[in-house]
Amino acid sequence: MTVEIEAASRSRSVRVARAGQGYDVTVDGRPLTVDAVRIGQLAWSLLVGPAGAGHGGGRSYDVGVLERAAGALTVYVNGRAVPVAVGGRRGGRRRAEPAGDATTGPQVVAAPMPGRVVKVLVKPGEAVGARQGLVVVEAMKMENELRASRAGTVREVRVVEGASVEANTVLVVVE
Amino acid sequence: MRKILVANRGEIAVRVIRACRDLGLASVAVYSECDRVSRHVRLADEAYAIGPNPPVDSYLHIGRLIAAARASGADAVHPGYGFLAENEAFAAACRDAGLTFIGPTPDVIALMGSKTAAREAAAAAGVPVVPGTDRRFDPAAPESVIAVEAERIGYPVLIKAVAGGGGKGMRTVAGPDELASAIRAARSEAGSAFGDAAIYLERRLVRPRHIEVQLLGDEHGTVLPFVERECSIQRRHQKVVEETPSPVVSSGLRDRITGAAADVARAVGYTGAGTIECLLDEEGQFYFLEMNTRLQVEHPITELVTGVDLVAWQIRIARGERLDLDPAALLTPRGHAIECRIYAEDPDAAFMPSPGRIAGLTAPGGPFVRDDSGAEAGGEVPIYYDPLISKLSAWGTDRPQAIARMQRALREYDIRGIRTTVPFFRWLLAQPSFQQGAFHTATLDELLQQRQGKPFSEPDEDDQEIAAVAAALHLMRRDARARLEPDTTYADLWQHVPRGSATDAASLLRRPGVGWKHQARREGLRG
Repeated sequence: MTVEIEAASRSRSVRVARAGQGYDVTVDGRPLTVDAVRIGQLAWSLLVGPAGAGHGGGRSYDVGVLERAAGALTVYVNGRAVPVAVGGRRGGRRRAEPAGDATTGPQVVAAPMPGRVVKVLVKPGEAVGARQGLVVVEAMKMENELRASRAGTVREVRVVEGASVEANTVLVVVE
Repeated sequence: MRKILVANRGEIAVRVIRACRDLGLASVAVYSECDRVSRHVRLADEAYAIGPNPPVDSYLHIGRLIAAARASGADAVHPGYGFLAENEAFAAACRDAGLTFIGPTPDVIALMGSKTAAREAAAAAGVPVVPGTDRRFDPAAPESVIAVEAERIGYPVLIKAVAGGGGKGMRTVAGPDELASAIRAARSEAGSAFGDAAIYLERRLVRPRHIEVQLLGDEHGTVLPFVERECSIQRRHQKVVEETPSPVVSSGLRDRITGAAADVARAVGYTGAGTIECLLDEEGQFYFLEMNTRLQVEHPITELVTGVDLVAWQIRIARGERLDLDPAALLTPRGHAIECRIYAEDPDAAFMPSPGRIAGLTAPGGPFVRDDSGAEAGGEVPIYYDPLISKLSAWGTDRPQAIARMQRALREYDIRGIRTTVPFFRWLLAQPSFQQGAFHTATLDELLQQRQGKPFSEPDEDDQEIAAVAAALHLMRRDARARLEPDTTYADLWQHVPRGSATDAASLLRRPGVGWKHQARREGLRG
């Protein structure tokens, strides 16, 4: 699985693959060996070494992952908080599927939780690509960019910047 | 005395309950609705509900506290600090209900609670006070009269609230043209914070240090002072770090300042634990500032360098016991101790309160580290009360060792789910001015201004990389459970956001009149 992860506002491409008891991980192409043991709902112990070092040894990190809002996490690394934003997934199973297949009809983009619309990034009639940002919603002081799940044309924009929205309020419709 | 009701919450209630247990006494906790499962409730031998969350309906409600004491069969009441700790009506109500109030008499609380009366008492005992007015200016006092006094004292002057504390109702006035507006602002703030708009004037000292003296007085006329505490590290007049001994107080100055503090306490017939606060100017001259007639927040550092359990002694004094401590030992610190006040505040958002659920908590421990906490994983930091969650103290044979241990402990402190001042303290303790002990009461505000809002929690490259790896592992685990549709983005995956207290608390904070600050004003001082 490969994901784009924005840690402290710099984006990194992280690939994770199971390897025996642990994981082979590459961060922006740099290979690492990770021994990861879950120690609770939110917490992991990681031992991180260079590639090929063998699992079960390396630098020790206590990490916790807390979901603050849609796509917005706080990851605690040895007691230090790192804000993390998670965008659309890439690779993995998604790549195996032909784009657009079996997912026709309008996309209704709704607010994942109560918040405030910080930015509207598109106008009605505008063509948008897959994973293009549509609206930025701020909830609990975190900004979350809501993106198109596939390419299309913006049919409706139902909110204005500065508006307060409830959870599940429809923000944008893309067709 | 067999059973003590603790009329407080949070870490100080936990501290008092522990002292009760050390002395073989039963403890009774009280709680507002949101505190039903708080640490102090579960630690005590018994616990009783005292009403809704707003402090005026619970922790400040004298009638309900007395009723809880009666219901539990307690024979004494410990007020902690804050809430009703310096309220003479509460002390009197306890006495009238046949309960021992663990603290000074109502008369002494009332006397020292008036800043102007306390100044007079100090001056009468021969202790220097900051030059200023010897009387209060009632709300009706004309500005012209106050202006004459300000000229006599000499600018810059401080306007202070007679009933004040914690910097509320306080204004600095550089010159005559600023006086009128500062008087209006101070009166309005004092009126809403304390219900008393009376003010007085003091000369504003240049770069003073805040030095205070812990005292114990028994019912047999003995008053003993302890080695001074240095509390100059303040943010907007609120202490954030305390240490003992002060890096700048010589043994000669210690003798004079602690002797003067004991004189004031003796003059007013003080009983129990109390603290005399002083300002120390750059020439080494000290001035009486005020007396706190209660246990001080920062009492643990005095305990660490003297080995005296101050809370246990409060109780023993209230039982009529004699102070049998060696006076010289109390003034001879063993090593050095530092305390950091860990608040549920976001240092990267102007220290705004950060209430909510504590998702995870690992407190530091190990050699010579003490954590006085009322918080635990899964617990809530409610919006209604002072957001102090822990007092972290460290001891060393000397100041550098105490600082190094505090830094080690701060590195270990791992609190998840809410923002805390831990990252701020990690920065502060590394500052050269702190490490050299070269600071005064405005130093921290100056240092913060120089930072210009630069965030305290700036994850380095390594932290960021590990966070990215952890987030990827987390997503992979979620994916395995959620059976994603091919085109699902992570945002779409978000199905259910628990409507947790953090959201509710955040929206409550924005409602006028319900916010934490409003409650804090009514609750009064942070100890």
